[in-house]
Amino acid sequence: MTDVSSKIREEARKLLKNGEVDVIIGFEKGSIPFSATPCFVRNEADTDKLIWNEYCGNNLARYLSEVRGKAGIIAKGCDTRAIVELIKEKQIQRERISIIGVPCEGMLDRKRIMMSCQRKDKTGIEDQDGQLLTRGDSLNTAVKKDEFLYPACHVCTNRNPVMYDVLIGNTIEERKTDDFADVTEFDEKHSEERWAYITDEIGRCIRCYACRNACPLCYCKECFVDSTQPQWVGKTTEQSDTLSFHIMRSIHLAGRCIECGACERACPVLVDIRILNRKMSADVKNLFGYKTGLDIDQPAPLSIFKPDDSEEFMLDV
Amino acid sequence: MGKIDTNWEPRIIAFLCNWCSYAGADLAGVGRMQYPANVRVIRVPCSGRISPFFILSSLQNGADGVLVSGCHPGDCHYLTGNYSARRKFALLKSQLEHIGIEKERVQFTWVSASEGGKFAEVINRVTETVRALGPAKKLVKKCL
Amino acid sequence: MSSTQITGAVLVVGGGIGGIQSSLDLAESGFKVYLVEKSPAIGGTMPQLDKTFPTNDCSMCILSPKLVECGRHLNIEILTNAELKGISGKPGNFKAVIEQKPRYVAMDKCTGCGDCAEKCPVKLPDLFNKGLSQRKAIFRLFEQAYPPTFAIDKEACKECNVCVKLCKAEAIDFEMEPKTQEINVGSVILSPGFEEFDAGLIANYGYGIFKNVITSIEFERILSASGPYQGQLLRPSDMKPPKRIAWIQCVGSRDIHRVNNNYCSAVCCTYAIKEAIVAKEHSSIDLDTTIFYIDIRTYGKGFESYYKRAKEEHGVRFVKSEIHRIYRDDNENLILRFSDDNRIREEEYDLVVLSVGVTQSEANQKLAIKLGIQLNQHGFCLTEDFSPVKTSQAGIFAAGVFSGPKDIPETVMEASAAASEASGILATARHSLTRDKEYPPENNIIGEKPRIGVFICHCGINIGSVVDISDVKDYAATLENVVFVEDSLFTCSQDSQQRIKERIEEYSLNRVVVAACTPRTHEPLFQETLRETGLNKYLFEMANIRDQCSWVHQRQPEKATEKAKDLIRMSVAKAKLNEPLFQTKLEVNHSALVVGGGISGMVSALAIARQGFEVHVIEKSSRFGGIANNIHSTIEGSDVQVYLKELIDKVSSNPLIHLHTETEIQDVSGYVGNFKTRLVIGEVEEVKEITHGVVVIASGGDIYKPNEYLYAINPNVFSLIELEGEIAKKNKLISTSRNIVLIQCVGSRDDERPYCSRACCSEAVKLALELKKLNSDVNIYILYRDIRTYGFKEQYYLEAREKGVLFIPYDVSDKPAVEAINKEGKDIIKVTVNDLLLNESFSIDADILALATAIIPSPESAKLAGLFKVPLNEDGFFMEAHIKLRPVDFPTEGVFVCGLAHSPKLIEESIIQSKAAASRAGIILSKDRIESNAMVSTIDKDKCSGCGMCVELCPFIAIEIDVIDNTAIINEALCKGCGVCASSCRCGAVDIMGFTDNEIYSMIKTGALECWGNV
Repeated sequence: MTDVSSKIREEARKLLKNGEVDVIIGFEKGSIPFSATPCFVRNEADTDKLIWNEYCGNNLARYLSEVRGKAGIIAKGCDTRAIVELIKEKQIQRERISIIGVPCEGMLDRKRIMMSCQRKDKTGIEDQDGQLLTRGDSLNTAVKKDEFLYPACHVCTNRNPVMYDVLIGNTIEERKTDDFADVTEFDEKHSEERWAYITDEIGRCIRCYACRNACPLCYCKECFVDSTQPQWVGKTTEQSDTLSFHIMRSIHLAGRCIECGACERACPVLVDIRILNRKMSADVKNLFGYKTGLDIDQPAPLSIFKPDDSEEFMLDV
Repeated sequence: MGKIDTNWEPRIIAFLCNWCSYAGADLAGVGRMQYPANVRVIRVPCSGRISPFFILSSLQNGADGVLVSGCHPGDCHYLTGNYSARRKFALLKSQLEHIGIEKERVQFTWVSASEGGKFAEVINRVTETVRALGPAKKLVKKCL
Repeated sequence: MSSTQITGAVLVVGGGIGGIQSSLDLAESGFKVYLVEKSPAIGGTMPQLDKTFPTNDCSMCILSPKLVECGRHLNIEILTNAELKGISGKPGNFKAVIEQKPRYVAMDKCTGCGDCAEKCPVKLPDLFNKGLSQRKAIFRLFEQAYPPTFAIDKEACKECNVCVKLCKAEAIDFEMEPKTQEINVGSVILSPGFEEFDAGLIANYGYGIFKNVITSIEFERILSASGPYQGQLLRPSDMKPPKRIAWIQCVGSRDIHRVNNNYCSAVCCTYAIKEAIVAKEHSSIDLDTTIFYIDIRTYGKGFESYYKRAKEEHGVRFVKSEIHRIYRDDNENLILRFSDDNRIREEEYDLVVLSVGVTQSEANQKLAIKLGIQLNQHGFCLTEDFSPVKTSQAGIFAAGVFSGPKDIPETVMEASAAASEASGILATARHSLTRDKEYPPENNIIGEKPRIGVFICHCGINIGSVVDISDVKDYAATLENVVFVEDSLFTCSQDSQQRIKERIEEYSLNRVVVAACTPRTHEPLFQETLRETGLNKYLFEMANIRDQCSWVHQRQPEKATEKAKDLIRMSVAKAKLNEPLFQTKLEVNHSALVVGGGISGMVSALAIARQGFEVHVIEKSSRFGGIANNIHSTIEGSDVQVYLKELIDKVSSNPLIHLHTETEIQDVSGYVGNFKTRLVIGEVEEVKEITHGVVVIASGGDIYKPNEYLYAINPNVFSLIELEGEIAKKNKLISTSRNIVLIQCVGSRDDERPYCSRACCSEAVKLALELKKLNSDVNIYILYRDIRTYGFKEQYYLEAREKGVLFIPYDVSDKPAVEAINKEGKDIIKVTVNDLLLNESFSIDADILALATAIIPSPESAKLAGLFKVPLNEDGFFMEAHIKLRPVDFPTEGVFVCGLAHSPKLIEESIIQSKAAASRAGIILSKDRIESNAMVSTIDKDKCSGCGMCVELCPFIAIEIDVIDNTAIINEALCKGCGVCASSCRCGAVDIMGFTDNEIYSMIKTGALECWGNV
């Protein structure tokens, strides 16, 4: 890990020194344990604060369209998939960014780590050689880090950057393709059970829009929820409005969501937002044979059609 | 379940494209084909004009069912509007079903300008399935 | 001739798709049109068809907007029940005598409500449905008919006066008399259509006796949703769904033994395939469909792959066998005997469809004789191959099947070509007889509080007998912003229009809602009334309380009344938000750019120049003429080189035409009416910019260079076009040859190029006849898959067979083998072929082998497609806007296509298409300004994030991204207002004028629940 961090610093220094970029978007150590925070490095001297560890979960592509000048970005597989989509959607220009790609074995969920240590007899958690050691009065147990991987990382199929200018280290083995077994399993439940689960999850939403703000692909100048002419979605937290907001958001992300899980990470009330986005990804793959964020020359699935697209969903009269 | 309102009639919003389905609906009239009076038609230029918002808003505002109908593939007055719409509709319908909304509440079909009979048949089918489902409860705004 | 002598009007005879197209082209380019139709409504044959090949588009759906457009055109006067009785005068100044039979229903009074027909006691066979159902003595030809007015069949009518009593509009008048009028026109276009072959003339088929032997047009009606069986696939004898259907091809065509018709009807193969596919789609069981044929002639654009799909995907069975007799069994089933694989077989069918050919009607022949127009040996109008829409009378043109069997797009092209010819004669009198309506200036209502008037129609008893109008009226008055409500017996009547105008003034109405029939037929009428009072026509909404309410809920008056209230509430909610909309006017540059200097390009340029417009023709090579430089004669025997020379002379000497050789296009910008194109000229690469209003792409095609059959290896192997050159050069090899072999479909109809190259069969027959003429002893073998000498070309095929040319069918999976050998000291080409008919393999020692090589797209096509933003089809030819009805247009306005760039075709067909392109181009060039659609897309730049989704989705390439601020811009000249962009914009930056999100939302909200009532 430290090896990766130092290589990142080296590449960042090089880019800044040669004037190839004006800013490096990366991570620095977070102010609380088990965290890393996005940071913007504008001069060589500051590159030393760049780090890389398994808490670099944020999708940094989110910041690309907001920085001025040329940007260097430390990018995982999912960050690069977001970059591909953003280039396709003309929000950023490939020539204005320099991608320092980093293969990623998955990021850890600080919130759940912290929750797991809230048992009274625990005194703390330590990171030791790929395992988390839980210490306490009566126990010293080692838990595999995998247990704390973000849900999105569990189904990640692009642990290596899909596009980069330099790659830190070697590529790692990819998981097999995503078969969306979780979506299938959920859809096999009775509709009332699905409804109960979803309304329970969405019911917690406080309409803070952190999900939207964290999403690398939510960049509209005015979000539909803020529209007043007409007011498509009410601003209340009653179920109808909240659910409509999340349905519409999933529709807007259909064929665009790169499944980084940023929305879920950002949610302060731990709503399972991905339950909607995963469904759209599964449909886009199954109906249109499309996977997002892989190829800038591949047209978005909702910007094209095939005359023989499936009509199974239609009324058969 | 609450008390059953015996006078309850489903209310269905139908979005029809101007060139085929609206004309098909007119033709059903010309042929005096009788069908239930539960549908309120909104004419749009093309099925491609129909945003998923239209459908969600209909449900939010109290419609018990939504019907969307356009020109058959290949017949679109605007060449390809129905093709691009079809992809959007497929996703919306699937998502609504995923979250547990009764799948029969929102229906999509193609009715051509010469298919008056099919239009009447579609309205019959949609009205009866929505009637069987009962009043829409999910997604409807509470303040109604 | 000076303009004072020329009459700027054209008489079009025949209201089918051809006549409609000619009328629209001419009226749109500044000429007055009289459209004379013998039946009570325009439309011709197309309304009777269910679907159209090869896209299976619904025929009525694609036609009906044209019916309305033609019917409502200010400068097209439609004369129904009318016939042309005679013509005198000369081109530019004809007098035509038109006789109009009475309709017995006043067109200005009849509202088309249909009460009369419902109660009329007289029933008679409905000829529109080919007698498979009944109609009344007072009738409308078909539901979407234009004019929508009813008519009385006086011969059948018993004058019981039921209709007179019922008609609230008092439109029926038995006293009407026939009317004869003389009209002045400058030119005449004849497109009176055709008659189907009378299948009864072939006694062995039992048509008219066996109930389940029907004609293809009857089958179309059966398939049609608006047909006699409402689209259910049933057979007439017992109204049961058939399980096995057979089609018999060439009924009345290609038949010199039974009916003496030695031409091919050109459309039957493909329509039979269509009917088989559609029948399979209609059938709930796995329907057996078999087509019995001589040759499958799917020669048109997209037809071959349609044929292939029918076979491979739909499982339609094709049997190459003639059927001589049909037998019937006790169950009204039909037995066919045929030979298959050299065995005689018998099969039973539930239904047999006779693919009847097209013939010239006696009435058309009489008309031609009356006008002094020569007919050909088949009774069709005689035309020359280099002037394919000209009749033998100057100033009188022919279009459509009147001059020979042809499909819809060819008819449409001829109709446009004829319009171009007519407008060439009348160019100086353009706009001299047309009218533009004057309206008072529009009131500015922006910022005013909505004041809505609601006008509710009883439509006689059509609405009022079901919907409680007084209840609805009271309700409407309670709606917010409604300041006036009134009901009337017929809101569409003349006096009602006057009253609406008075009310608008009296109550200062600034929005109008009419609750009546349907906006599809009546919105333009009411909008016109608004304009006449100075209200913008988009301040209007219509609630459909008849077609979609009272008519369909006749037994539920209370619910219908509730629904009517809802519909009015929804319309009022939308009307409240309506804003005045304005059409943008764009200046038009009156010159054209023609890309390509072959026959197509030159014909098109000349036709445009004759209409009085400037033309630039660019040719990439140093020589004009294109592929035609290598063609010496047509199959009819006309000299192509003489024609080409004359054409080049005419083009070169025309002062309006500028020729640019060795010129290519560097880039193109702009849009309809205002293109800017940068040309690169000559070796020095001089760059020149020209501005133009339209573009005609006539970039031609190319000839496939085979890798097979020893081509380019053996000196005695030629392509057909090379062989033609050798004949012209009088190559000795030809006169000394004993055996000449021609192989058809080289590079066509295979996996790489699945299309048929259309021209090669005629080319082969032409060359075979020439070779036989040079040396009658020469043995000519034509190895073919299907001989596609469609239309009148068939007679040359017959002639070739008579003269001993041997036609040997081969199978594509077992192509002929070719080998160069030396036999007895002579170099020959040994061709071995398996004869499909005899199922026997044999070899020919050929002195010459000629290959019918495919016509392929020009290598330029892809580049031009990119420059002009127009599509290519999967074969690499340009893809027109609509394969049937817009055969020379593109979705991108102002760009047109013709000739080989569009698809393989014969010279005559290229000429027609090029003139058609000139006519379409002329519509734009003739205008000083073009008005954009007012209901267009609009972009809120503050919201747009420039993602480009709308750009990719727009079917009309009307949106682009502004590179400066990365937001989308709409080209209003190109936008058609479909709304695909608006529904796809995530950022809410796009809206459609007249169908805004806000307007639609207001309807959703008021429609979803009554309690939202006043929003």
